[in-house]
Amino acid sequence: MGGEVRLVKLVKQFGSFSAVDGINLTIPAGTFFSLLGPSGCGKTTTLRLVAGFEQPTSGEVLLDGVDLAGTPPNKRNVNTVFQSYALFPHLKVFDNVAFGLRRAGVDRAQITRRVGEILDQVQLSRFASRKPAQLSGGQQQRVALARALVLKPAVLLLDEPLGALDAKLRRQLQLELKALQEQVGITFFYVTHDQEEAITMSDQIAVMNSGHVEQVASPREIYEEPSTAFVADFLGVSNLIEAQATGPSGDGVALQLGPGITVEADRGDVAARGAVKVVIRPERIRIEPEGATGTNRVAAVVTRSVYLGNGARVIMQLVTGQSIVALAQNADDDDAPTWSPGVRVTCSIPPAAIRVLPVGAPRSDQPVSAP
Amino acid sequence: MMILRGVGRASLALYYWAFIVFLFAPLVVIVVFAFNKSSTPVLPIAAFSTRWFELAFANTQLTGALVRSAAIGVATGLFATALGIMSSLGLSASRLRLRAFVVAILLLPLVVPYISLAVGLLILLNELGLQISLWAVFLGHVVIALPFSILVVLPRLRSLDPALVEAARDLGSGEVSAFNLVTLPLLVPSLVSSFLICFITSFDEFAIASFLAPPGLPTYPVFLYAGSRTPALLPELIAIGSIIIVASLVIVVMAEGGRRWAEQRLIGQTAPAAENVSMLASDA
Repeated sequence: MGGEVRLVKLVKQFGSFSAVDGINLTIPAGTFFSLLGPSGCGKTTTLRLVAGFEQPTSGEVLLDGVDLAGTPPNKRNVNTVFQSYALFPHLKVFDNVAFGLRRAGVDRAQITRRVGEILDQVQLSRFASRKPAQLSGGQQQRVALARALVLKPAVLLLDEPLGALDAKLRRQLQLELKALQEQVGITFFYVTHDQEEAITMSDQIAVMNSGHVEQVASPREIYEEPSTAFVADFLGVSNLIEAQATGPSGDGVALQLGPGITVEADRGDVAARGAVKVVIRPERIRIEPEGATGTNRVAAVVTRSVYLGNGARVIMQLVTGQSIVALAQNADDDDAPTWSPGVRVTCSIPPAAIRVLPVGAPRSDQPVSAP
Repeated sequence: MMILRGVGRASLALYYWAFIVFLFAPLVVIVVFAFNKSSTPVLPIAAFSTRWFELAFANTQLTGALVRSAAIGVATGLFATALGIMSSLGLSASRLRLRAFVVAILLLPLVVPYISLAVGLLILLNELGLQISLWAVFLGHVVIALPFSILVVLPRLRSLDPALVEAARDLGSGEVSAFNLVTLPLLVPSLVSSFLICFITSFDEFAIASFLAPPGLPTYPVFLYAGSRTPALLPELIAIGSIIIVASLVIVVMAEGGRRWAEQRLIGQTAPAAENVSMLASDA
């Protein structure tokens, strides 16, 4: 059914500022693809370039292989769900949803049928004759979705559509959106700054930073194997540590964390040597009693611990001076240790939990192909 | 302390009522003397009478002037509002060079004395070899009404979410159809206000009309000014004046009521927050 979007060396400048700075990206047909990044990274501009609200300074936007340059927004087979929803306040819900069908000259009977179907699908049938101002935020969001989907576009563009909703409703709608995408099979191109949202819903995520793409991968890969310090940091990795890669060790590389303290790292760029940055997932670190021995163990002192309900976030200072965060699960037995500040412990960090980031992050000016 | 507060409150009340009297006493005087049987507007009131109204409406010169002013007022209201929409669209464009300069030019008639504008228009007409006419009065009134229209329409236009037009474009509208289907309907309340303000501006205007209205075809303010020097005509002018005062009051009240009604119809009643929450809960 089509719906593959390709961005080729896409550049958008506003004056001397490059909002989008040479993006190469392929959004496979029928996938839920998220563009994730902090505000001002160019993700919304990228979406607007695909919608046709902005014209690229250079580069191409291809929809199923056809360059969209010069095609106005009303002639593109893509539709947008706006961050503000942009529902027409003077039209009833029914007329909002029927707006696009009427512009396309669809006959009355078919409009009534198709609008009825889509309103059923988003459970808003009984609100058809209300004005948008008479609906709650979540309902307005679904009208915006129905209004775009009723046209059966090749690609649906979503610009932070859940941003204005409260956390509980947002989580519910995340699941609904994902289910809806799987049901209709349309390509969803989703822009968000919320990493949890992107990870929950996406088939593929592209992480953007100041106009370029840092990494394109599946949610799991983005989370487990961030390829740059920016991605690791943005995805909420608490432990981004500097170390010296000194030479091979086992299957990986020997990392010197401080004088006389060396651990083995098996993940990431194990061929790197010299000063490197490493990422350690908090949930992979085991906290053992003081004096526990073995490889990849480092003495530490608890500086703080935060109760999280299903576990605890324990912040420790390694003997080498770095601060490190571990997620400790609640133990079943009552005499499980408590991690009060000042308690001396040993951090056990498996080699497979330490990921060495490549020196010199890959930039988007090298073609990035989506797997 | 209590006494001081009492004095303060009393003087505030005194100031308030003095202000009200200052504003409305002249209007009340007009309405009262309109029904006075005596042909001179002096106290005491001789007797109640409606004969000045009958005489005024029988005076074709007077009613002719009223009709001319009303017609020019309506035409000015429509034309200046149309120009006001276009100017506002231009001024709200994202990329406009010399925006401050364009705004200054468009709003200039607000600060230029009407008499200077009138003289300028008169000289311009002469140079173009055209006669003074009611058309010239109409054009002059459009010039002075346009700034008022812009000042009413532009803020409304700026308050609209730019994404609304983008949404219309996204859903298949061309630029013109997006304007007609989305922007224009949402501007309606401000267009009604603009029309009324432009109408009143034209209806009241004396300086331009006195220079540009041809002899024998005065607008109402011009006729009024000339007639006020004819003592015999004064009671009739007072009678018409009282009708205009009441009509103005009705228009102002209707305009505000109409604006609210239009807004209500346009956007729909906003459900209270509590109702929203319960709707959501039953829906989830």
